[in-house]
Amino acid sequence: MRAFIVTFFIWLLALPAFAGESERVDTGKVIASIVSSHDSVAPGQDFYIALRTELDEGWHTYWRNPGDSGEPVQIAWDLPNGVTAGEISWPLPRPIPTGPIVNYGFEGTPLFPVKFTLSPDVKTGSDITITSNFYYLVCADICIPEQGSVSLTLTAGQPIEDALWSAAIQSALEESPKRGDVRGAIQKSGDVVDISFTNLPEGDFSGAYFFPYQQGVLGHSNPQSVTRGAKGLRLSTVPEYLWDSATPEVFKGVLTYENGGQLSGVNVALAVGESLDIGPTAMPKSSVAGGTLWTAIFGALIGGLILNLMPCVFPVISIKALSIAKTAHGERRVIRREAWLYTAGVMATFLVLTGVLLALKAGGAEIGWGFQLQSPKVVAALAVLLFVIGLNLLGVFEFGSGLQNTGQALTQKSGAAGSFFTGALAVIVATPCTAPMMAGAVGYALAAPAAVTLAVFMSLAIGFALPFLLIAYVPGVLSKLPKPGPWMARFKEALSFPMFAAAIWLVWVLNLQAGEDGLLVVLSAMLAVAIAIWCFKHGRLFGKAVGALAAIAALMMPLSLSAGAAAGDVVAAELKAEAWSPARVQQLQSEGRPIFVDFTAAWCVTCKVNEKLVLNTAKVQSLFEDTNTAFLVADWTNKDDVIAAELAKYGRAGVPLYLVYSNNSVSPAILPQTLSYNVIKAAIAGE
Amino acid sequence: MTISKALFSTLSISALALAAPASAKIATGSNVSDMTVTDSNGVQHNLSDFAGKKVVLEWTNEGCPYVAKHYDTNNMQKTQAMAEADGAVWLSVISSAPGKQGYKTPDEANAWKDSKGAVSTAIVLDPEGDMGKAFAAKTTPHMYIIDEAQTLVYQGAIDDNPSANHATVAGAKNYVVAAMDDLKAGNPVAVSDTPAYGCSIKYKS
Repeated sequence: MRAFIVTFFIWLLALPAFAGESERVDTGKVIASIVSSHDSVAPGQDFYIALRTELDEGWHTYWRNPGDSGEPVQIAWDLPNGVTAGEISWPLPRPIPTGPIVNYGFEGTPLFPVKFTLSPDVKTGSDITITSNFYYLVCADICIPEQGSVSLTLTAGQPIEDALWSAAIQSALEESPKRGDVRGAIQKSGDVVDISFTNLPEGDFSGAYFFPYQQGVLGHSNPQSVTRGAKGLRLSTVPEYLWDSATPEVFKGVLTYENGGQLSGVNVALAVGESLDIGPTAMPKSSVAGGTLWTAIFGALIGGLILNLMPCVFPVISIKALSIAKTAHGERRVIRREAWLYTAGVMATFLVLTGVLLALKAGGAEIGWGFQLQSPKVVAALAVLLFVIGLNLLGVFEFGSGLQNTGQALTQKSGAAGSFFTGALAVIVATPCTAPMMAGAVGYALAAPAAVTLAVFMSLAIGFALPFLLIAYVPGVLSKLPKPGPWMARFKEALSFPMFAAAIWLVWVLNLQAGEDGLLVVLSAMLAVAIAIWCFKHGRLFGKAVGALAAIAALMMPLSLSAGAAAGDVVAAELKAEAWSPARVQQLQSEGRPIFVDFTAAWCVTCKVNEKLVLNTAKVQSLFEDTNTAFLVADWTNKDDVIAAELAKYGRAGVPLYLVYSNNSVSPAILPQTLSYNVIKAAIAGE
Repeated sequence: MTISKALFSTLSISALALAAPASAKIATGSNVSDMTVTDSNGVQHNLSDFAGKKVVLEWTNEGCPYVAKHYDTNNMQKTQAMAEADGAVWLSVISSAPGKQGYKTPDEANAWKDSKGAVSTAIVLDPEGDMGKAFAAKTTPHMYIIDEAQTLVYQGAIDDNPSANHATVAGAKNYVVAAMDDLKAGNPVAVSDTPAYGCSIKYKS
């Protein structure tokens, strides 16, 4: 019995030597052997033999593309007749940095499986001796080329899997990269290559890395920065010399990522010169405000505050402020109630707006801030609304006290609903304006999960309502407000003019969106509104009925609109502008010209202000001419997925966005939303 | 790493007056005039001193098997002699940091040169790695050719057989010889970029 146990243990210890493994040779820094999935193989059957290498701690060998230095593991086979060997199923590589050099390789105990086929003609019972002559460069801080030769004999016959090694080989094969459904494309623009992927499997791509099979495609030692989109992934890095000469149609390689804490990989063939739509990006690459949730929330708060100063909002706000000022000389308790009601109105409206945004986003639409104004219906309705508010401010009529308090509030105590609806109205008229600080925050919010979107928009709402909360709570602010008096009536009337101006601007926007027919419809709607107001003011029952009909007509007319006339050209007719497209940018870059890209829309006030005060000035125009800078306009007045995707690339969900590709920059500079000549000049100079 | 990267980018930009991003290699066709280096005899050279001559740069490390392949088979010495005969300046550069493989003091460098029968013009000692990083040199050997107008016209491997096996020298296409032949014939260099192969350079960091 004892003898049996001893024999058994000896047999166990010696097991690797007999079964599916060759002898183990120590080549210096590596112990190597070959292992087989089968001890006995049936003629006509496939099986696997793997080179097993056990590396000393701190040493590594190299992948098929070794990276900046090194040499791949190589296996040559001596095979009997009837046995054919395939290629190595490479394990997943890791980037191995040494100082400024990055290699692609393996540490630990990598296994290199190779598929074999036994011909059906091989006689059962015959021995099959497989010899592997292997070579590898093994490096730590220094490199040593090592080689060896080992043999393994299998039997042709009943297929018998090797108890130990078939599982090890199987798991190595499972870990090796698979051919998946992942689509990939690679595009070089200037000194950047963007590699985009879609149809990704489940997994964590935050540390994704693309290993090219070929050298000269990517700078191996340059980091690959990850941008995750809703539909895919983009890696940005630095191109290598292969791009200088003729490039092949596809580059192949392995994309690695994490799945359940395990490194996984897929084989991907990259279409060259293309870029896939990865959807809205989750992490803005380089927006001013929007890196983190907190900066986004803070940016939104400040942005909301600034919104109060926008030309379309200011009149509404001022009236409200004055009405509060009047109350101010009454009770503070009332003021606080009013301020909170106003805040509630603002927040409720933002909540509705956010809800619509999220619903549209869930439906897969490429949308951004100001999306409402891409619909001519909304633009027309807003124009009519501003016209009505203007008439009201001018004193043509007074709203019933239940609906709106801008008028009567000056002479009588305002109702709760009044304050609430003033808040709602203020938000509605504010939507055309993207305040500078808001862009990054809103871009971030729209790309983030719904809860974050909501948090950012609520912060925007609080920022928007903040002035009134300050008036209500900060002592001293109240007394700073001007004393009420008869001048207030005059002031109120004067505020109707910015309202009319804003209405004119919206009518102009509509003209670009829907053409002359749109103009006819919106102006007729205004006429109908005027008739309705007049009928209500003076008419009896019949007059009121006519008025109601006119009002309905005024409401219905804007809804009949649809986008028509091409916008584009009109926007920057004064400048020598060209329409933007990614292809045009690439072409101009290859010509070595600096490029200024203006992402704009007719309904975007900030854009219009910048165009008027900066871009259309002779100074900037001559700067463009002197520096041979191409001026490209991306017009987002109507819905455009290509532009929306480009905005998302820079972490933006709305316009304006100004990019400058200088001659010597790696990627375009993002200019601030408030432009100036000096900023443009410096960006073109690449400073 | 980031600090050294920033430092390096400052160095390479000021040294080369090139607005290239950090760690990016110098594009073939760029001008590489202004850089001062010290050789194993204590002599300072500025690359601009060699204007009007071709300059060949060879990154080397005695302990690297790929370098050994080219020196033990006399291939590197033959290539050096060919370039010298052509009137070119040949600088062998050692960027290994002290304590790392391939590092040499000036005396050791001279002794090594004699023992190998190398005919390079000078051995540049670059223990801080500034020159290596400015050229984004990755491997030993890693070869660069600068023409008379101080334009980088070739960078990459010495030949097309990326192996440490000595037998692979015969029959390989020597890219440096080919580029020098192109220049001599007044032609642009046909193969101007190749993947350098070999050991990683043993930089300080």
